Amino acid sequence: MKFDRQLLINFDWPLLGIVMAICFIGVMNIYTTGFSLTTAKAPLYLKQIQWIILGLLFMLIVLSIDHRILVQYAYIIHGVAILMLIFVTFYGYTTHGSQRWLALGGFSFQPSELVKLTLILSLARYFADHGTQSRYSIKDLLTPFFILLVPFLLVLRQPDLGTALMLLILFLSMILFVGIRIKDILIAGFLGLLMIPLAWYFLKEYQKERILTFFDPERDPLGSGYHIIQSMIAIGSGGFLGKGFLKGTQTQLKFLPEQQTDFVFSVFAEEWGFVGGFVLIILFLSLILWGFKIAQYSRDLSGTLIAYGITIMIFWGVFINIGMVIGILPVVGIPLPFLSYGGSSIVVLMMSIGLLINISMRRFVLQP
Amino acid sequence: MMGMFGRLNGHDTADFRKRFQRLFIIVLIAIAILIIRLAYLQVFKGDEYKLRSENNSVRLRKIAPLRGLIMDTHRQVIVGNQAAFDLVYVPNRVIEIQRIIEQVEDFYEKRGLSLNNDSKLTGKTRPFVPVRLEKNITMAKLAFVETHALDLPGVIVEVAPVRKYSGGEMMSHVIGYTGEVSKEELEKHDDDEMGPGDVIGKSGIEKFLDEYLAGKSGAEQVEVNVTGKVVKALGHVAPVPGYNVVLTIDSELQKAAWEALAGRRGTAVVMDPRDGSILALISTPSFDPNLFNSGISKRDWDRLSKDPLYPMENRAVSGQYPPGSTYKVVVAAAALAEGLITPDTRFFCNGSFELGNRSFRCWQRHGHGWVNLHRALVESCDVYFYNLGKMLGVDKLAEYARAFGFGELSGIDLPREKPGLVPTKAWKLSRRKEPWQLGETIPVSIGQGFNLVTPVQLANAFSTLANGGALWRPRIVKQIEAVDGRVVKVFPPEKKRVLPVRSEHIEMIRQGLWGVVNEKGGTGSALRRPEADVAGKTGTSQVVGLPKNEADRRAKILSGRFRDHALFACFAPYKHPEIAVAVIVEHAGGGGAVAAPVARKIIDAYFHLKTSRAAPTAPIAQNVVNKQAGQ
Repeated sequence: MKFDRQLLINFDWPLLGIVMAICFIGVMNIYTTGFSLTTAKAPLYLKQIQWIILGLLFMLIVLSIDHRILVQYAYIIHGVAILMLIFVTFYGYTTHGSQRWLALGGFSFQPSELVKLTLILSLARYFADHGTQSRYSIKDLLTPFFILLVPFLLVLRQPDLGTALMLLILFLSMILFVGIRIKDILIAGFLGLLMIPLAWYFLKEYQKERILTFFDPERDPLGSGYHIIQSMIAIGSGGFLGKGFLKGTQTQLKFLPEQQTDFVFSVFAEEWGFVGGFVLIILFLSLILWGFKIAQYSRDLSGTLIAYGITIMIFWGVFINIGMVIGILPVVGIPLPFLSYGGSSIVVLMMSIGLLINISMRRFVLQP
Repeated sequence: MMGMFGRLNGHDTADFRKRFQRLFIIVLIAIAILIIRLAYLQVFKGDEYKLRSENNSVRLRKIAPLRGLIMDTHRQVIVGNQAAFDLVYVPNRVIEIQRIIEQVEDFYEKRGLSLNNDSKLTGKTRPFVPVRLEKNITMAKLAFVETHALDLPGVIVEVAPVRKYSGGEMMSHVIGYTGEVSKEELEKHDDDEMGPGDVIGKSGIEKFLDEYLAGKSGAEQVEVNVTGKVVKALGHVAPVPGYNVVLTIDSELQKAAWEALAGRRGTAVVMDPRDGSILALISTPSFDPNLFNSGISKRDWDRLSKDPLYPMENRAVSGQYPPGSTYKVVVAAAALAEGLITPDTRFFCNGSFELGNRSFRCWQRHGHGWVNLHRALVESCDVYFYNLGKMLGVDKLAEYARAFGFGELSGIDLPREKPGLVPTKAWKLSRRKEPWQLGETIPVSIGQGFNLVTPVQLANAFSTLANGGALWRPRIVKQIEAVDGRVVKVFPPEKKRVLPVRSEHIEMIRQGLWGVVNEKGGTGSALRRPEADVAGKTGTSQVVGLPKNEADRRAKILSGRFRDHALFACFAPYKHPEIAVAVIVEHAGGGGAVAAPVARKIIDAYFHLKTSRAAPTAPIAQNVVNKQAGQ
């Protein structure tokens, strides 16, 4: 592909800066959780750094391809991701009772992370083709619904409730954005309500238990009830200024569960207090607002939709994860973007940021 | 910020402006909720939570489940659980583990006791995470520690269940043993259920059925004080005991078989030919699975793992032996089925068989004279079978050997089974890179040469003859039951295949086997019971070729390690067989002299048990015996 000097001039440095700042906080935070562990394995924070570097590499690749080419091949890319999902369902290996990993020469990879991004791409393609001027009816949404349904069911089957929920939320966020008739929203809502008992039937016992526990924490003081109580003690005891780096007792004494994944924010808030938590949330807020700006000023509709989708994905990740660890949402296992440990998640997030920068830097370029 | 975003050549975003405005508001509200909640927790309620975190001594503690029972076919419990006491240190702060161990050792020394801990405990403790200092302590130590609790703050005694193997050495190769999960096993498991210190099946049924036997850990939320003692239990999820397993093994018969072998190196497999159920399975030398309960000591482990006689190996499924003359039944079946001989076909045995310029001897140096199939089996004439082997060829022979279940895993419910070896032309070309020689077919046809069989395969092959041609999967597990008796899984008998041999041909071989035991000149006369109901075949398998030189021969024979393996395989009663037995005694000499008496004891025990169990009640049976004795 030909090099365009203008692209370099228009590179979105502030966006990359915000992301790297959040990543830095993430690595530091994983370092503190691993501090008292004495395992022979490579420390987790080093692995996270490796993943970030790998992610930056993928970001560069995504950057160098015009997003419109990606949109053109969106369905194929989505199809490939779904094939990987199917493959993982039958041949992937199992951790924590859920089959979602694909081993790739030493690395393990979760196709369910990738499918979030390809879902956004495919929906962007569909709605870019069909425009956003007139409001959609339910009948018009059958194709997008199908685009969602296949990966959604596969992920639910793994079972990975968190990611499945995320896919559903992304889908709903997309169609609400492109516009749907009020009457149809009501019909869809009604149908959704009817689906609840069906979905309940599909949920695993522990997933049902988690949801019930949210409404009544006393139900399960040993499981997620215990987790949420310990998480709130950790965050609350951080106070205004925090207990200091490596000094969080809830973290260091392992009262806090799932420290590197679901409850990373609690670790951070315990050691850095309200001040730290506030700064981190503001960093996320600026990332989200910046992403929306990119969406709003994209040169073409598909760029707008992709940028919107990626940004809303990050927004929901932040809101649901922090919401659950501070006790205002049920514990559904959605990681905090850039902070939770997880190779696939980091790499896909970096690719998403690459797409945002891609769209951002191409908005000035005139192309035939 | 806005100025930076021009609208140079962008598409028309005017219709989006409103949507984005709404979006901004939604996002801002959501983020504001997070910040307000965070401020509420950290600033407004901060002091309260700080206090709670400082007093946080609420711990989740795992409760190990009871492993399932293992019962024999008559529902006698052969593996249960018993209470054991572990010495545990519960730290309330970070401290060097080595220091605690030194303290405990000092403490013990005053009483002349010593700390029995082979695992290397190093590093630092984590507050309230218990460190197991010593497993399965003696009563003396228990009493001492309990009465001096105040001198050793943080050291407590915990009750933990351990396995009780009442069968000891005699059952260990069937049952296996349990131990603490190893690092490698932990990585393989990779789920929440399994953690360091958990118990897992390491061999035998304990390993094979671990997922059923293990049960599910429970947990309790407890508040601990500064010395690590539990002050208050806050929540409790009971552990779920593992499922119970019912085996096909008859523990009384197992005991009889163990005693019949009388400590000699070897193996015995007893099977029900009607459905493939294993009634007894012995491998000696053996080991005591109870040794592993307290975490086996290094000395014991070295003794077991470095023993040149391999007591940890289950010879019945992993031992591969040349089948010797027991293999002749396969050769006979092949020749009959292929129509190469009739029962009346005769060959002349003058004591040796010539092929080219080589000569193969019969075990009877003076020869058997003219022999037909029946005499050949009864007197185990080698020359007769050399002739059959030459007519059949090694590949045809292999075909029938496989039909009898040789050369493949029998599928028994025990780990580490070996397939044995059925030689073919293709096998030799691929493994030895040499073409097959006709001269090599000759020893194969009397079970020497390259052939290797496992004792389980041998018992199964004779079961097949006993029941008229059905090859069953050797079955050792009958069913799995929940604690309340509900049947969780049944392991039904599985018929693998039917011999491609007509039933009248099988009957001819059966008659020959009956003759081996009950006719004059038969090699298995040790089995001649008053009921005349046993049919079987002796075998003697050469371990290595002996030197020609007579003096060297003698020296080697005397050293014992080069003595032949004694084999005997049989079934009884001849008319309607109920058991098939295979016995191998290593380096013991002739099958008829050494292995047959062992088989005899097992068969006697089987029928004795059968009649004593059939008797309505024990006292009456006893009275009858007494009366007879008195008369």
